[in-house]
Order: sequence, then C-alpha cells, then structure tokens
Amino acid sequence: MSHAATIDHHHDVTTSTGIPNKKLFMWAFLASDCMFFGALISTHLIYRLHPPPGSPDVSKIFSIELTSFSTFILLMSSLLMALAVNSLQKGHVRSTRHNLLGTIFFGLIFLGCQVYEFNHFVHEKGLTLSNSIFGSTFYTLTGTHGCHVAIGVLWLVLMYIRSFKPADPSRSWLARAIAHFVVFTITTVAGTAAVLGLVHTIQSHESLSVFIDHHLLATSTTVIGLALLTWFGFSRKPVDFGEANAIDVESMGLYWHFVDIVWIVIFTVVYLLEYL
Amino acid sequence: MSLTMDAKIATPTTHAGHTQSKFHTFVQIAMVLSVITGVEIVIIYLPIGKWLVVSSLVVLSTVKFLLVIFYFMHLKWDKVFCTILFFIGLVLALGTVAALLALFGAEASAPLTSQILHHSAPVIV
Repeated sequence: MSHAATIDHHHDVTTSTGIPNKKLFMWAFLASDCMFFGALISTHLIYRLHPPPGSPDVSKIFSIELTSFSTFILLMSSLLMALAVNSLQKGHVRSTRHNLLGTIFFGLIFLGCQVYEFNHFVHEKGLTLSNSIFGSTFYTLTGTHGCHVAIGVLWLVLMYIRSFKPADPSRSWLARAIAHFVVFTITTVAGTAAVLGLVHTIQSHESLSVFIDHHLLATSTTVIGLALLTWFGFSRKPVDFGEANAIDVESMGLYWHFVDIVWIVIFTVVYLLEYL
Repeated sequence: MSLTMDAKIATPTTHAGHTQSKFHTFVQIAMVLSVITGVEIVIIYLPIGKWLVVSSLVVLSTVKFLLVIFYFMHLKWDKVFCTILFFIGLVLALGTVAALLALFGAEASAPLTSQILHHSAPVIV
C-alpha cells in the first residue's frame, strides 16, 4: 500500500525553492525550448514576408482538414496526459497506464498524419526540403516539432514499461522490460506501415486483397505484437510505481503539453494564416 | 520507495475531492480547446476584414496557449516561480520574433530582385 496520500504534489519542503527539482529542471528546459522554437518560427515568417519569385502557392498545397484533425488529436492527447498525472497523484496505477497508452496512441496518430502529409507534399505537390525557401523553413520547423513528438512518445513508452517494475527486488525485471520495449517498437512500426498501406489502398481504389498481398507481413506482425503487449500488460503483482512517482510522470507531462502549445502556435502561424 | 498494488488506493476525502474536481476541469478545458480550434478554422473563411481575422486568431491562440499552461501544466496550482521561469523564456522568444519581424519586415529589407542586381553590379573590364 502507499502512504503517499499525504504527498503535496505542488510544493516540496525539501528544496529551497519549494519546487521539486525535476519540475524546476523541466520548466527551465521548456523556457529554453521556447527560444529555440521562437527562432524557427521567426525564420519561417521572415521568408514568408518576402517570398522569392516562383514560390509555391501554399494554400493549394496544405490540407486544412488533415491539419485540423492532427491538431484535435494532439489536444486530446494533452487531455489524456493530464488525466494520467491526475490518476497517479491519486495512486491509481492502472488508470495511469490506460491514460498513458491513450496518449501514446494519439501521439502516434499525430506522427502518422505528419508522415502522410510530408509524403504527400514531396511526391504529389513537389515540395521538397531544398527546392524552395518555403520548403526549407516549413520542413525544418514542423520536422523539429515532429522530432519533439517522437521523443515524447518514446518517453511515454518507457514510462509505461517502467510502471510494471515489480515491488519485489528479487524478481528479475530488466530482461522482461527490454522484451516489452522491443515488442512495443516492432508493433508500432508494423502497425504504422499497415495503416499507411491501408490508407494508400483506399486512396488508390484498390481491392482489399491487394492490401493483404502487399502488407500481410506488417498486418500479421501487428496482430501478434498486440497480443504480446496484452500479455505483457496483465500484471496483478505489487509494483514499485505509485503516487511517489507522480513527479516523474508530471515532468514528462510538462514536456508533452509543451509540444502541444508549440503546435497551437504552428497551426495558427504556419497553416491558418496562409488561407487569408 | 512506494510499494503499491495495482488496485485503487483509498485517499482522504479532501484529497479525493480536489483531484475529482481536477478531472472535470481537465475535461471541460479540453472541450473548450476543441471548440476554439473549430472557431479558428471557421473564422478564416468568413468574409470579414483581414486584420479582424488575424487579431481573432492571435487572441484565440493565446487563450488556448494560456489554458494549456495554466491548467494542463498545473501552473495555476504550482509555485509562482515556475510561471516566472517559463515566462522569462517565453518573453525572450517573443521579443526575438518581434525584433526579427520588425527588422526583416521593413521595406529596406526586401530582397533585391535579379533585375536590380543586374543593374547595380559593378562593370568588370
């Protein structure tokens, strides 16, 4: 059982600032990351102020429907992240895991949408990293944000696996954790390939048998991986993960929400303003 | 080290009440964020002045930004130093953006076209 119900999650009497060190570090990092994204956004806007002759018509390249969907997904992932922190502060480990999985899933959908968008822009709209200044600044800015999301997803997965660490130190855990992570990674890659293949099949008006022919390996790997992940997820034994770890999940949550607020700015400045 | 079972752990009434209200707050904030995003998308198609659309977008984005940092990121409940620390970075970033846009937005900063470059190039004998 946890005796952590008395933990004050907003104040830490053991530090001189009254703020947990992990949280203070994360806020300092996020402040510096603000300046990083500020520089990237400025660069994009400066070149948009004076587009050179022959610049692409951006409003014909963007898909407002896809971007709006991505934005909604990222906002909902932020909600799930906030609920994960809230659950662990109450000591609800299972609920925390469910919310973490939801956040991971939504993060992966966002990344999938970005991969689809970049692929569409390069192959169908002819917008590459090097054939226009707009392409250079756009891919650098949104790609950097995408890297942040990918790092966030990786962190979420590691935290999810960490939540299964057994309370009994005599039980071996590392090998199982590594296996859990490998299965998670393979399932994610295979699942993404299968879903993107399905989308491509639907867009090309091909039959389902064509999809199965081309993506049988990815689909079957995903199904087997999901079954293994479900097996890994069944654990009723005491774990060394609870309310005292809420600060770890909260620090991770701060990073994830930061990625969300950066996208709020990018969505308006890079996408919506192009339609005026 | 905390040793917890996967099962739900009982918490004192006041603590539970506080976190329960947070749950509802988070869901309501998420709904507000979704609605604002919808309004942002609709507003760019409205036949109104460009300055009004831009101003509205800036205000709506700022509201979304503040809702996320103060509620989802717990700044509302944390020590004020966290807010100060984050806003130092944010103000520096906004200052950089504003300064660069002012510099490069000026007419003198407009890039020279190839025609002007051709005429102004020194003659090499």
